[in-house]
Amino acid sequence: MGKRVIIIRYGEIFLKGKNRSYFESLLIKNVKFALDKLLGEGGYAFKRSQARYSIEDYSELKEAEIVDRLTKIFGIHSLSVAMKVPSDAENNFEAIKQAMIPLAEELEEENTLLDPTFRVTVKRADKRIPIPSYEIAAELAGTVLRHTSFKVDLKRYDYDFEVDIRETGDAYVYSKVILGAGGLPVGCSSKGMLLLSGGIDSPVAAYMMAKRGMKLVAVHFASPPYTSELAKQKVVRLRNIVEDYTSRMKLFVVPFTEIQLAIHEHCPAEYMITIMRRFMMRIATKLAEQQDCKAIITGESLGQVASQTVESMTSTESCAGLPIFRPLIAFDKEETMDIAKKIGTYDTSIEPFEDCCTVFLPKNPAIKPRLERVMQAEQALDIDALVEKAMSGIEKY
Amino acid sequence: MTTDDSAKFIYLDNAATTMMCDEAAQALSEALSPEFFNPSARYKQATGMLERINSDRAVIRAALGGTFGEVYFNSGGTEGNNTVIFGAKGRKGSRIIIGEGEHDSIYAPAMELKNNGYDVCVAPINTDGSVNFDKFKQLLNENVSLVSIMHVSNETGAINDIAKFVRATKRVAPNAIFHSDGVQAFLKLPLSVAALGVDAYTVTAHKIHGPKGIGALYVKRGAKIKPLILGGGQESNFRSGTESAPLIRSFAAAVRYCNENFEANYSKLTQYREYFAQKLTQYLPDTVIITPFDNSIPNILRVAFKNVRGEVLLHSLEEDNILVGTGSACASHHESRFKQMFGLDDEHIEGVIRFSFSAENDQNEVDHVCERVAYHVNALAKTVRR
Repeated sequence: MGKRVIIIRYGEIFLKGKNRSYFESLLIKNVKFALDKLLGEGGYAFKRSQARYSIEDYSELKEAEIVDRLTKIFGIHSLSVAMKVPSDAENNFEAIKQAMIPLAEELEEENTLLDPTFRVTVKRADKRIPIPSYEIAAELAGTVLRHTSFKVDLKRYDYDFEVDIRETGDAYVYSKVILGAGGLPVGCSSKGMLLLSGGIDSPVAAYMMAKRGMKLVAVHFASPPYTSELAKQKVVRLRNIVEDYTSRMKLFVVPFTEIQLAIHEHCPAEYMITIMRRFMMRIATKLAEQQDCKAIITGESLGQVASQTVESMTSTESCAGLPIFRPLIAFDKEETMDIAKKIGTYDTSIEPFEDCCTVFLPKNPAIKPRLERVMQAEQALDIDALVEKAMSGIEKY
Repeated sequence: MTTDDSAKFIYLDNAATTMMCDEAAQALSEALSPEFFNPSARYKQATGMLERINSDRAVIRAALGGTFGEVYFNSGGTEGNNTVIFGAKGRKGSRIIIGEGEHDSIYAPAMELKNNGYDVCVAPINTDGSVNFDKFKQLLNENVSLVSIMHVSNETGAINDIAKFVRATKRVAPNAIFHSDGVQAFLKLPLSVAALGVDAYTVTAHKIHGPKGIGALYVKRGAKIKPLILGGGQESNFRSGTESAPLIRSFAAAVRYCNENFEANYSKLTQYREYFAQKLTQYLPDTVIITPFDNSIPNILRVAFKNVRGEVLLHSLEEDNILVGTGSACASHHESRFKQMFGLDDEHIEGVIRFSFSAENDQNEVDHVCERVAYHVNALAKTVRR
């Protein structure tokens, strides 16, 4: 009897014409990254044929988890768990029929429709078999008819039994299609530097950019002893969750306490946050250069807090040497929270630890800081030296 | 008592948990593999284990002074407390009184009962963490089914005069069950549950240099408390689940260790704390001492520093390998419950730290610790929010 395999169909890549092989190589890399993490290298076999991939030779106990991981990989359009059997044409397709029985019985069990209908769709790539596809389909439909109460309807069918007969002598049989994550394979839209705070927004921003194919590197600012080791561990855990979508995302943790203390001591309290954010942008820009990132990504949403007004963003933006993308700029908090719940970061994000932004929070931050005043206030600091010092203490996770 | 890097840190958070003593660690490791039999089985390897469990039980009962009742093993303090609250709640609508400073494992189950139609009352505490007796008395009536007052406050180390509370309760509500959470008190002060007169008393091993995952509930004979966990009927039908003989053995070893050194450690800790507090206030005169020295166990010292946040100070000291606690008072879900309790002003209310000692601590380290505390408090006070 055959074995279970997972068929992967990819989506938007088709649109990209001559770049197709490049996109495909990224997608394959991402699939392998995800499955290596789950199953270990050698825990599965990756096969490609024509416009499809398949995952084979895995432990059946892991199948549900494999499917779950694959549905999080951008660039995959849909999946199917299929039975792979010999086409067995000389024996009247007996192996295919045997494989169809449990699929048919399962659908019959699950069915809640009145008078359900089905069809069998056969793709015959193996032209050595002299029987036309529709005749094979008719032959196979008999099996479904014998094991279910379904009736045949080629046009308005409720269920579709698909059978791919390949040149290799194998046939893939399946009846269900699972929708994939869509989007573009991560890596095809250059690399971005993500400001990852540990809150609800920034992991969602990572997810959004990854969906459009951007590879990400994350930077986190830590302020020990004002923020704890647990807060840092939380950020690492968030990164690990988000990696299901972003593929490998390096995380750099920058020691930020000294900068905050210097600002606190030398600059007016109402500019604390603006000046702090400007330092973050400077450091993120430097790190982006080292990591070959072409943009900075933040989870900012317009008007959410004092540092997320147009004026505040303008004041911080002038320190970034790169374009800043803010995928959540027009999202309500609820919308962001919904995505965070969907991608599984929400419960971790709301764990209560201080982040560096809440330390030294002034009672009355400037909501509309004026750039020239901010820059004047900054002159009390040795900016280059502070940035250099922070850069030298960066840790990688 | 050693860990691989015990020389590298000064541990002052013994009210949170303690390092296992050598005796307990050895007892555990010796029993772990060979004593795998199910104590409920009928062959002699198993019945022998049951016998040893019962002799370990006798050790713990003796240490409690539990002549009038029995000791049932469970998974620890949280289970003991839950068992009593849910097992002695009485009829719906009855009054249940708990202390304001009770541990979450009393507080949360009691609030669950409150949501389910019980008349749950919270007896206020004094600013030193002990329960206010007069206000407690006002809550008593004949409808009281259960009272739970902790023996020693985990926040401040303050001792409640449990015998007095029991007498007052029984005068008004003779059938009420009186429970005391003794997790912080057990082997930290001279103790007899018989003398206290309680119906139930919770203890756990990991606060007395034993392992995590094992504790016991003392239940006075005749006290009606229903089991929380049903099943195979172990522990005389009071707590089902296969007994962990190795953990019980280790628990008993820890009890023996603490008992043997009780007198010596008690006076050592008393002196240590005196000296510690004296040094601390020398370095930082603005410090408020919350713990009442005339009525507390000797190993807890809760203080409030001026113009610092407790958790930030904790992390600063951590960098000097000095490990302290903020106590549960700083847990965010507790804020409303504890913030105002110690009667602190705005400058001190965030700066609460709990130092808790064990006999392993050495008076020679006090100077170093206080000097580092003073350094960090002074440095951090400069960054107070403007």
